[in-house]
Amino acid sequence: MMSLERFEDLAETYGGEIARWPEAEREAARALLAVEAVRLTPVLVAAAHLDRLLDRAPAQAPDSALLGRLISAAPTAAPSSRRWIAGLSAALGLSAAAFAGVVVGVSMGRPAAAPPAVVTVASAAEPAAVVTTAVDTSTALQDAISEHSDL
Amino acid sequence: MSSDGNDPDEGLLAGVGRGDPTAVRALLDRRLPRILALARRMLNDPGEAEDVAQETFLRAWKQARSWKPGGAKFDTWLHRVALNLCYDRLRKRRETPTDQPPEQVDTGPAPDAGLLGADLSRRVESALAALPPRQREAIVLCHHQGLGNIEAAGLMEISVEALESLLSRGRRALKAALADLAGEA
Repeated sequence: MMSLERFEDLAETYGGEIARWPEAEREAARALLAVEAVRLTPVLVAAAHLDRLLDRAPAQAPDSALLGRLISAAPTAAPSSRRWIAGLSAALGLSAAAFAGVVVGVSMGRPAAAPPAVVTVASAAEPAAVVTTAVDTSTALQDAISEHSDL
Repeated sequence: MSSDGNDPDEGLLAGVGRGDPTAVRALLDRRLPRILALARRMLNDPGEAEDVAQETFLRAWKQARSWKPGGAKFDTWLHRVALNLCYDRLRKRRETPTDQPPEQVDTGPAPDAGLLGADLSRRVESALAALPPRQREAIVLCHHQGLGNIEAAGLMEISVEALESLLSRGRRALKAALADLAGEA
């Protein structure tokens, strides 16, 4: 059984509504109130009076300017998606070019058993550039995938 | 302070992270008034309260995409950020000398027998502002924000017993400061 002193302490600490007291003590408090109503009801009434006064402490409604600022600063989906699609397209395009370059490079490096492909000579003329492009492509693709995974 | 997988804001926060404007608006409708009220009652200054609320949500937007469900509740996280920002401002007030004296807090009885609603609110606000910050914080968290004692104590990084001590001392001081308002409210 809860003591009268503990009941009074709880009212002084948490206010006049037993529903707002620590959950573990509510049942015992209600049981005590039922048998000591004459003594304890005024304790709750006094605490509830202070609760009502506290309720009068002004709050503040958000104004439309604040709401507008926060809405416009919030994350947006569209630009990120566009960036992701653009990044992926670029990466795929460049990957195709790099793949073509690698094919050309390999075929150029083979013994001349097969006749050289005339069409690919122009592409193979800048192997270093092709290699660089392939590295950039890989980075672009990783960025695009990473950005997408953040969405 | 685990959310026990029960954070009511988790879905909205995920929507914010995806850039869903409906989720942004819903989350602001649900949480901005609470955070603004918390800052107003902690700082007793509407302009500073608005700055704190704005900064709190700007930080929330940065977190939205990387928010890990299952940790602290989003509402608890918001409270912690807002309270830290409030304390930064309270510290600055103490450290910054100013030509203008701070607003005088009048917690004494009003000359009139009865108070109009706005006057009553001002009296209560002044009495709350006159409390030591930790007592005010305990009362605002438990009474106005409706947090449970364990959550409030966790936010304040104190024991439940220490929280109860702050609450009861704060309420006693308010009771004394507002004793003339026995018939009001």
